[in-house]
Amino acid sequence: MEYRQLKEIEIYPLRDLSYDFLGIHFENPFILAAAPSTDNLTMVHRAFEMGWAGAILKTTSVEGTRVDLAYPMMSTFDHEGRKLFGMGNIDLISEHHIDTVEYNVRMLKKEFPEKMVAASIMAGRKEDWQSLVERLEKAGADLIECSFSCPQGNIGEDPGKMLAQSVSATELTARWVKEAAKKIPVSIKITPHVTDIVEVARAVKRSGCDALTASNSIQALMGIDIRSFAPYPSLGGKSTYSGMTGPAIKPITLRTIAEIARNVDIPILGTGGASTWSDAVEFMAVGAGVVEFCTVVMHYGFRVIDDLKSGMSHYLDEMKFSSPAAIVGKALPNIVMHDDLPRRTVRSHINEKLCIACDLCYIACRDGGHMAIDQQPSRVPDVDRERCVGCGLCQHVCPVDGCIEMQVAV
Amino acid sequence: MQCFDAPCTAACPTHIDIPKFISMIKSNNVIGAAEVVKTSNALANTCGKICPEEVFCQSVCTRGKQDSPIWIRELHFFATQHEKEKGFSATKAFPKSKQNVAVVGAGPAGLGCAFELAKLGYQVEIYDGRKPGGVPRNSIPSFRLAVRELESDTKFLSRFFKLKTQSVDANRFEQIRKSQEAMFLAVGLGQDRMLGVPGEKLKGVIPVLKFLEKAKANSTSMKIGKRVVIVGGGNVSLDAAATAKRLGAESVTLIYRRSEKEMRVWKGELEEARKQGVEIRFLINPVNIVGRIKAQGIRCRQTRLSRQKDKSGRQIPVEVAGSDFVLDADTIIIAVGQTIEAEWLAGVERQKGGYVKVGEGFQTSVPGVFAGGDMIAGEGTIVQSVAHGKQAARAIHEYLSAK
Repeated sequence: MEYRQLKEIEIYPLRDLSYDFLGIHFENPFILAAAPSTDNLTMVHRAFEMGWAGAILKTTSVEGTRVDLAYPMMSTFDHEGRKLFGMGNIDLISEHHIDTVEYNVRMLKKEFPEKMVAASIMAGRKEDWQSLVERLEKAGADLIECSFSCPQGNIGEDPGKMLAQSVSATELTARWVKEAAKKIPVSIKITPHVTDIVEVARAVKRSGCDALTASNSIQALMGIDIRSFAPYPSLGGKSTYSGMTGPAIKPITLRTIAEIARNVDIPILGTGGASTWSDAVEFMAVGAGVVEFCTVVMHYGFRVIDDLKSGMSHYLDEMKFSSPAAIVGKALPNIVMHDDLPRRTVRSHINEKLCIACDLCYIACRDGGHMAIDQQPSRVPDVDRERCVGCGLCQHVCPVDGCIEMQVAV
Repeated sequence: MQCFDAPCTAACPTHIDIPKFISMIKSNNVIGAAEVVKTSNALANTCGKICPEEVFCQSVCTRGKQDSPIWIRELHFFATQHEKEKGFSATKAFPKSKQNVAVVGAGPAGLGCAFELAKLGYQVEIYDGRKPGGVPRNSIPSFRLAVRELESDTKFLSRFFKLKTQSVDANRFEQIRKSQEAMFLAVGLGQDRMLGVPGEKLKGVIPVLKFLEKAKANSTSMKIGKRVVIVGGGNVSLDAAATAKRLGAESVTLIYRRSEKEMRVWKGELEEARKQGVEIRFLINPVNIVGRIKAQGIRCRQTRLSRQKDKSGRQIPVEVAGSDFVLDADTIIIAVGQTIEAEWLAGVERQKGGYVKVGEGFQTSVPGVFAGGDMIAGEGTIVQSVAHGKQAARAIHEYLSAK
C-alpha cells in the first residue's frame, strides 16, 4: 500500500519569540547574515516563509563598482571526519549593485512588512557611502549594515587592509554613514583582527552609529595540498587567504562580543560561528541583541530555522524567561579579569562507575599535565591528590560526560 | 547527514521528518525532536521500541550507501523516552466544533485515526472491550514491548478522545452507525486460523494469539510443556517461539512448510529466535496431532518446493510421499495466521482472505463506514496500521466536509 505524504497538522503551540531591538520588532532572534543566501530575492523570500525573522542582504555597492570574483571561492576546514567545521570563502561583495538591492528591499518589505529587511553596504568615497545609505533608507530598509571588515578585499584606497583595522578611519567613515541616515539605524560590521577591539567599538560609538555587528570572518589559509603544494581553494594551483566562518570561529566571536559588551554601551548584532539555538543563547548571553546565521544555512539550508525556534522555545520555558531579550548580557557579570578569578584548591575526581577505562586521562596527564594520574590493574585510573594541581585537562579529554569533575578540596 | 527530501521519511508509513528530528537531537533539543516524531506518529514511543526499521526508514538510509545506515529507530526512541521522562509537552487546543465520529477498536489503527480526527476538530469516541492498545498491548511479547512502553503512548493520547470500554455487537454497530456522522473500523484480526488437521482439539494444542495473550498477561506464572512445537512461518510464530523459550520450555522447534527464503519475517527476529536456541525446520507440513486426551506429538510430512508459484510469487510446497515422521511435543502452538473475529461485520463487503474490502480513501461498502489496519490488508506492522488510521481520518474529513 502507498502511504500518501500529507502535510502534518501542527499539534504543539508556537511560543512567542518576538521582542524589540534597535527600535525594530523581531519575530525571533534569528536573522540571515549578509552572504550568498541573501543575494537573491527568491532565496530570501523562501527563508522568510520558513520563519527567519530578518535578513541582511549581501553587501552591495554603487553602480559601476567593479566586482571581480574568482572561482571556485569556497573551501572547508574538516576536522576528524566532521565536514565544514570551518568554511572559507574568497568571495567579495555582491555582483548586484544598489539598484537591484533597492528593488529587492522594496519587494521584500512589500510582501513581508513584519520582517526585518536590512542591507549591507561597502564603498570607498564619502559620497558613495552616503548615497548607498540614502537610497536604502528611501527603499524602506529597516537597518543598514556597513561592512568595514571584509577580509578578502576592500573597495578604497588601501586594498588588503580592512577599514575597521584603523580606529580613525572607522570613526570617520562611520560618521559619514550616520550623517546620511535620517531615521534608519546603522550598524558597523567590524573585524576581530585588531589589537584592541574596544578602541574600535568606542570609535563607532563616538561616530553616533547605532550598533555594531560583531564580527566578520577570520582571515585564514584554509589548507595546502601537500603533494601539489596548491593552497585551498585551488584556482589552477594558486590561492589566497580566505575568510573563515562556521563552528570553528565561534569562540573567537564570543570573546569579541563579550569584550565589546563589557566595555562599550552599544547594541550588538552577533555573528560569526553560530550554528544552533544554543550558540545563539551564548552569543546573546555575552551581549548580542540578535544573532545572524550564514554558514549553517549554506550547509543545511534555511530549514535549520525550525530547530533554532524550537530549541530556543524549550530553552526559554526551561529557564522561565519571558522573552529572548531576557538572555542578553546574562553571562557578562561572570567574565572577569584573570586577577579577579576566585582562587581555590581543586582536584580531579574520577567517577569509577562512569569510567570506561580508556586511560585517555592517564596519558594526557602523564605527558601534558602533572603526572598525577596512575594506571591501575582494573584500568580505572587513580588520581594522586598530592601531585594533582587541578588543571582540568583530564576532564576535557575524557570521552564520558560527567565522569571527571574538578572538586574543591576541603 | 540531514539529507534533503530524505528517503527514510518517504519510507516511513507515517512519514516522520527524520532529518529534522535527528538534527534536533544533535543540537540537544531532544524535546523538540520528540515533538517532531509525535506530530507524525500517534504511537511514537511504541514504534520507537519495536518498529522493524530494517523494512522501513533504516533500510533506505542514504548513509548506508557510504558505510552503514544511521540507527534511526534508536534515535527516535531516545527522543520519545526523554520527553516521557521530562513530562509530555503541552499540546495546542484543537478546534472543537465539528461532528462526531466513532472508532471501533483501540489498536494502532484506531488510535492513529482518533488522534488525527481530534486534530481536525472532531469529537471522537473509541469503542474497545479491552484496555486501549490492541496487538501491542495484548500479544506482542513483553520482552519486545513492555506494557508501560505502550502506555506512555495511550496515556498521552487518551485526553484527545472518549474511550468507551464496550465491545461492539451487531446491535451496537447499527446504533453507532446511525448516531454518528462517520465510523472507522479497526478491530484487527482477533481470530486464530487453525490447521484443520485431526487432533487439534487435544489438550496442549494452543492457537498462537491465545498463547501470546496469556503469556503477556501472566508472564511469570504461565506453565508450558517441556517440548514445544510451533507450526508457522511468520513473525508471530517467532514471537511465540521466543516466548516459549523464555517460559522455560526445554526444546522449541518451529516447523514451516516452505524454506527460509519464503518466510515472511524480519531477519532480526529470526536471528534472535535462533540465538535463543529455537530450532527452525523447513519443508515440513503437519499431518495430524498425535495423542489421546493430551497432545503427545505432531505427525509431519516432508515437502519440496514445486516449480509452480502461488499468487504471492512464492513456490508452492508439495508433500513428499512416504516421508512421515513424528515430532514429540507436549505443547503445540498453531501460528498459521489470523482472521477477523467480528461476526457483526456481516453487512460489510469482504475481499479474498476475509479482509474487509475498502476503496480509495478507506471506504467500505457501507456508506460512512471506513476501515483500516490489519483487518483490511493484514500488513501486520504497527506503523502501517497507524498510517492507515491517519490517512483514513483525512479521508473521513474529506467525506464529511463534502457532505
